[in-house]
Amino acid sequence: MFDFLSFGKTPEMIKKRKTAFVRVQRFNPDEDEKPYIQEFEVPMTPETTVLDALQYVKTELDGSLTFRKSCRHAICGSCAMNVNGSNDLVCHRNLPESLDKTGVVTIKPLPYLPVIKDLVVDRTSFWEQYKRVKPWLVPPEDAPEKEFRVSPEEVAAINSAETCIMCGACYSSCQVIAMGKDYIGPHALLKSFLRVMDPRDTIPGERLDISGGEDGAYRCHTIFNCIDACPKNLNPTEAIETLRKLAQRRIAFEEERAERQKTLTEAAD
Amino acid sequence: MRIFQMQRYSAIALLFFLTIHMIVVHYPPFHIDFDRILERMDNPLWKLIDILFLFAVLVHALTGSYMVLTDVERFNRIKRVLAGAAIVLGLWAMYYGTMTILAFSPPT
Amino acid sequence: MYRSTGFISFFLRRLTGVALVIYLFMHMWVIGSVNQGPGVFDSRLNMVQTPFFKLAEVALLAAVVYHAFDGIRLLIIHYTGITDNRRSMFYAVFAIAALLTVAGGVPILLFMFE
Ligand code: FES
Repeated sequence: MFDFLSFGKTPEMIKKRKTAFVRVQRFNPDEDEKPYIQEFEVPMTPETTVLDALQYVKTELDGSLTFRKSCRHAICGSCAMNVNGSNDLVCHRNLPESLDKTGVVTIKPLPYLPVIKDLVVDRTSFWEQYKRVKPWLVPPEDAPEKEFRVSPEEVAAINSAETCIMCGACYSSCQVIAMGKDYIGPHALLKSFLRVMDPRDTIPGERLDISGGEDGAYRCHTIFNCIDACPKNLNPTEAIETLRKLAQRRIAFEEERAERQKTLTEAAD
Repeated sequence: MRIFQMQRYSAIALLFFLTIHMIVVHYPPFHIDFDRILERMDNPLWKLIDILFLFAVLVHALTGSYMVLTDVERFNRIKRVLAGAAIVLGLWAMYYGTMTILAFSPPT
Repeated sequence: MYRSTGFISFFLRRLTGVALVIYLFMHMWVIGSVNQGPGVFDSRLNMVQTPFFKLAEVALLAAVVYHAFDGIRLLIIHYTGITDNRRSMFYAVFAIAALLTVAGGVPILLFMFE
């Protein structure tokens, strides 16, 4: 009774559990026709993460379980998976907090992407789209000796977009991606936003051509799945809305940027 | 981009026109009375409003359908065909609708 | 399927949108028959005055109202950049649409039984 009052908190009885049931989606292209769910019982403490549980399964129970991971502290972006229906980094996710009443957690590969094996997905389209937006900075020819002096407001406007770790959680949660892989995708549009808003960048117009073009920001339908999915609490939707506005006044924006760059290089000398 | 903007501006226009349409056509006594329509349509201003309304609604409907279809990868490959079909359909519907609106006149 | 309020709103937006496009062309077909004389017009209008179409009219109202308010929500998001209140905005739209559908639908149904 009154279960809804504890919504979002871990009930005491779950915290006291010694083991968790981990349901993992398995698929081996050589043997299986369809993916299936396998359940493992894994010991846990209050600090166990979902990745620890997967690692336990791999070392102790079934060595054939395949998944990607590397850094174990939410910075490499290898371990994005779908936990209980929402995308997250499993190394970052607490196991007791992810359990339902019966102590079960369900782990699936990222949705809408082709599965290679078990929890590993093919991210080719993710990187292909990323390349399209030219994710690198194109600084002015006469770069100053020491540094560019960028104002705090300009840094704030970038809205911490540079902390993206390219895990793919937003990309594979996007409904537009689910319908067609020719959409650039929230990850690449966020990166495009980062470069466009950067006062040191010299080709904002060219960038807006791509990210404000047919496959770009205008194909976003403001579904917000990317914000919900992002493990770094970034905001691709707002970045996309900004790109849309900038793409509509592209010429003026290019002129503003050229003006700003004059002062930018002068101030640094 | 252009399609998105067409969609957005026609949406804003529709918010305005649709409110008028709903109030004028359906507000008391809640039923469509042929004479009432004729009386209203006698006014050239109403004809103009209705033609603009028709235009906005067609733009919104056709760009919307186009976007629904091109979101799917399979249809995105033939988007030129779709765009052409939408323009033809739009022109025809605009012609047909305008003729209809202009034909509304009290029997003399 | 990645379920969220955003997905539900997107799905309903598309569904009502496609339904409204179909309705639009039907509506034009019915009203457009004035060009072919009062006989055709009356027969087509009578066709859509049956109880089934009255019920469909309530559904139409629901679709229009939902689509319109969802559109207003998107306009607000676009022009103000609010993304934090996405859930409450979705529920607000849903509540307003439901309320207006009831407010407009009851008279339609009452009129049907007159
Ligand atoms: S293992 Fe590196 S982000 Fe999770």
